[in-house]
Amino acid sequence: MGMIAPAIPKSWYLPSKPHKFCPGCGHGIVLKALGETIDELEIQDQVVFGCDIGCSLLSWNFFACDSTQTHHGRTTPVMVGIKRSRPELITIGYMGDGGGYSIGSQHLLNSAVRNEKVTLILVNNTNYGMTGGQMAPTTLPGQKTETSPFGRDVDLTGYPTRGPEFIAELTPDSAYVARATVSKYKQLRRFLRNALRNQMEGNGFSFVEVLSTCPTNWRTNAQQTWHFLEDEMEQYFPIGEIKTPFGKGDK
Amino acid sequence: MGEYASGKSEVAINRALELKRQGREVTLVDLDTVEPFYTLRTLKNDLEKKGLKVLAFTRAQSFGLGETGAMLNPAARWALKQEGDIILDVGYGVFGAQTLNLVEGAYESPELKIMAVINYSRPMTGNRERIRSYIKNLGRVDAIVANTHMGDESTIDIIKAGNQEIFIVAAELGIPIAYQVLDEKLKDSGEKNWEIPVKYIKRFMPTAIW
Amino acid sequence: MPQIFEASKKAFITGNEAIAWAALAAGAEIMFGYPITPQNEVMHYWTRLAPEYGKGFLQTEDELSAGFTVCGAVQSGKKAFTATAGPGNVLMQEPFGMAEAMRLPLFAVIQQRGGPSSGTVVYSQQEVTLTTYGGNGEGHRIVYSTATHQEIYDYTIKGFNTAWKYRFPTFLLGDGYQAKMREPLEMYNPEEHGIEMVKTYPLVGLQGKIGEDREPQHLCNIYSLEEELYEVVLKFAAEYEAITPELVEYEEKGCEDAEIIILSHGVVSRAADDAVKILRAQGIKAGYFRPITLRPFPQKQLREAINRKPARKLLIAESAYGQLDRLTKQEIYGETVAIENLFMPGVGIIDYDIINKVKSIM
Repeated sequence: MGMIAPAIPKSWYLPSKPHKFCPGCGHGIVLKALGETIDELEIQDQVVFGCDIGCSLLSWNFFACDSTQTHHGRTTPVMVGIKRSRPELITIGYMGDGGGYSIGSQHLLNSAVRNEKVTLILVNNTNYGMTGGQMAPTTLPGQKTETSPFGRDVDLTGYPTRGPEFIAELTPDSAYVARATVSKYKQLRRFLRNALRNQMEGNGFSFVEVLSTCPTNWRTNAQQTWHFLEDEMEQYFPIGEIKTPFGKGDK
Repeated sequence: MGEYASGKSEVAINRALELKRQGREVTLVDLDTVEPFYTLRTLKNDLEKKGLKVLAFTRAQSFGLGETGAMLNPAARWALKQEGDIILDVGYGVFGAQTLNLVEGAYESPELKIMAVINYSRPMTGNRERIRSYIKNLGRVDAIVANTHMGDESTIDIIKAGNQEIFIVAAELGIPIAYQVLDEKLKDSGEKNWEIPVKYIKRFMPTAIW
Repeated sequence: MPQIFEASKKAFITGNEAIAWAALAAGAEIMFGYPITPQNEVMHYWTRLAPEYGKGFLQTEDELSAGFTVCGAVQSGKKAFTATAGPGNVLMQEPFGMAEAMRLPLFAVIQQRGGPSSGTVVYSQQEVTLTTYGGNGEGHRIVYSTATHQEIYDYTIKGFNTAWKYRFPTFLLGDGYQAKMREPLEMYNPEEHGIEMVKTYPLVGLQGKIGEDREPQHLCNIYSLEEELYEVVLKFAAEYEAITPELVEYEEKGCEDAEIIILSHGVVSRAADDAVKILRAQGIKAGYFRPITLRPFPQKQLREAINRKPARKLLIAESAYGQLDRLTKQEIYGETVAIENLFMPGVGIIDYDIINKVKSIM
C-alpha cells in the first residue's frame, strides 16, 4: 500500500472535480455522502439527479449520473414528471432552503401530500448563498443577512420554517422524513440511504433536510462556523428521523 | 340529461316550446353546474319572448362571477315551486342523475321523468358498450331520447344507423325510447320508415355566440 | 403503436374533446394539467379515457408544476403534454422557457380566454404575444393557430411530431370558442393518413452502464459566461431559421387580384373567409390571408400575396388590441401597403363586422 488517497465515490463525475463550492461549505459533505450512498445501493445507472438554482446548482455535473438543471424552486415538479413517467428511475431532487421552502414551497407541500415517490434533499444553510447572503425562510431569529441587516425580526418576518416537521404532518406513514446535519456524517449517510431505499421500495415520499454551513456568507472562521451549526442551528432545527417506515427512527 | 354536447339543451328547448304551443305554462331550468355560462345564457331573452319562463343566469347576473365554474342558480334549486310543466336541462358531469339532488323535491315528485339524450356520433357514446356503460353511470333513467346527428353534416343514413344502435342497447337495458329527434331541415327527406316516433326540432345552440 | 380507432370515423364533438382524442391517437402517454376555463374538458376527457388506454394523468398543484412536470416527463422520453389558458399560460411561461432553453419536445394547448388578468373565461385572441414570444427568451417556439375542429385534431397530432422532430416547444393556439363549439370532424389513426409518428427517446434515464456503455447526461439551461449563452442562442436561432421554410403554413384565397387583403388567424379567419365571399359577390375585390403558423410567421408568403396585384390595403382583424397587428408589422417591415385594423379585444368577430369595416375604408 502506498499513500492513502481520499476515497472518491465511484458515482462522482471526475471531470468536474475539484468542485466549485466555497471552502468550508457543507454542500461538498452532503454530496459526498450522497455519492457514497449511490455507490452502496448500486443505483448510479438508474438515478436521475435534478438540481435547483442557487448554490445547489453547482452540483449539476457533480455526479456521473444522468442529471438535469431545472429552475429555482422547480426541481420538485421536474422530478415528479420524470418519476410519474418512468417509475423505474430513481429521482433525486437537490435544492436549498430558498428553493424548497420559499419559491417552490407549493411544489414541496403538494408532492408530499400526494406521497410522490421521489427523494428530495434540501440543504439548509439559513440564507440565500449564491445571490449574496439574503434572508431565507430558515434564517434564525436575530440572524443578520443582507436583507435583514439588523437581524431577523420575527415580528416582521415570522419564525424560521421547520420543513421536516410540516412535511411529516402532511405525509402518510409510508413516507420518510428526516433532518440530518453535515456535522454527523455517519448519521447523514444513514438518513440518505433510508431516503433512497424508501423510494426504491416504492413506499412513498422521501425528504431529508440537511443542516449545512455557509462560512462565506456567515463571515465565520472554522470554529465559529461549527459553533453556529452545532449549537445555534441544531437548537432550532432538531436532528433525527421524524417519520420512517424502517423501524423506530433515529433521534 | 346526457353526455356533454349530446343535445340536451336543444331537446329541452324544443320540448318546452312544444308544450308551450299546446297552451301550457312551461318553465325551462338551466341546471348545468359545470359550465352554466356557455349554455342557455345567451338564449334566455329570445326564449322568454316566445313565452317560456327560463331559469338561467343572465348576462348581468354573471358579472363578477369570474371562473364561472360550478354555480348553482338559486332559482334552479326551487324550480319545482313554479306552476305548470318544468323542464330541467341537466349539464354533463360524473354525477349523472345525482345532480337532481340539487333541486328541492325533485326525487320526491311522482311526476319526475329522467330522460337521457344520446347522440351516437358523440365518441363517448359511439358504440354499444360505451352507450351501455354511460347510461348505467347516469343512475336512474326513465326513458331515452335518441338524438344521433352530425351537425350540419347530418344525413338520414347517419341518424338511422346511430339511433338503431341506441335502440338495441335501450332494449337490452329495458329502458323505453321516448322518441327520436331530427333537425327540421331534414323534414323533407321523404323518409317515412321510422320505427320509433320522430320529433323534428329547430336547433338553437348554433345561434348562441358565447 | 396501438391503434385508437378500428377505422377512421366521423364524430360530433367539441374542440377540447378533439384535443384529448387526437392526443390519444398521436400516442401521447401522460398529461399534466391544472384546472382553468376554457380548457377543462381536455382534462375531463383525457381522464375519462386514460384508464382504458393505459395512459397517465396528474392534476398538479398549479400551472408552474404542470409545465415543469411535462418538462421532466419529456426528458424521460415520454410523449407528454398539457393544456392551459390565460393566467395559466402566464405561469407556464416559466416552464416553456426551460423547454426553449433545453430544447425539450414539450407540446401545450392554449385555449385563449379574455385578458388582461383573469379577464373572462370565455374567449379572446389575446394570448398571441404571450404564446409566440412570452418568457425571457427569443420566442424559439412553434405556434399553430387553428380555425376548425378538424384542424385542432390534425394539428394536435402534428404538434407532437413537430415538437419531437425539431425539439422546439410547440403550441396549439385555440380559444374558448373553439374549445366549446361543437362540429363534426374525422377522427383517425395517424397511420391511416400516412402520418408516421416521430419516435420518442429519453434525454435522461438512458439505457446502459455509465462509464462502460455510455457517458452520463448533464443537461443545462444556465451558463456562467455571456459568450457561452450567446453561442447557444445564436445556434438556436440559426437552427430555427433553417427549419422555418418547412414549418411555415398558411392559407390564401383570392389575393391574386385583391384590392384589399383581410389578414386574420384562428377562429376569426372563418368570419374573414365568409366576409371575402360576400364582398366579392358585391363586387369588392377582397382577398384572404391566414397564417396557420404564427411562429414561424409566413412572412415571405404574405409579402408575395400583398405584392401580387398589388393590394392597396391590408386589413388586420383580430379579437385582441393589435397583437397580430404587431406580429405582422415586424414580419413585413418595409412593405408600403396601407395597414388598417379591426381590433375587437376579447369579443367574437363575425363576417359583418369585417364587411362593414371594409366598406368604411374602401
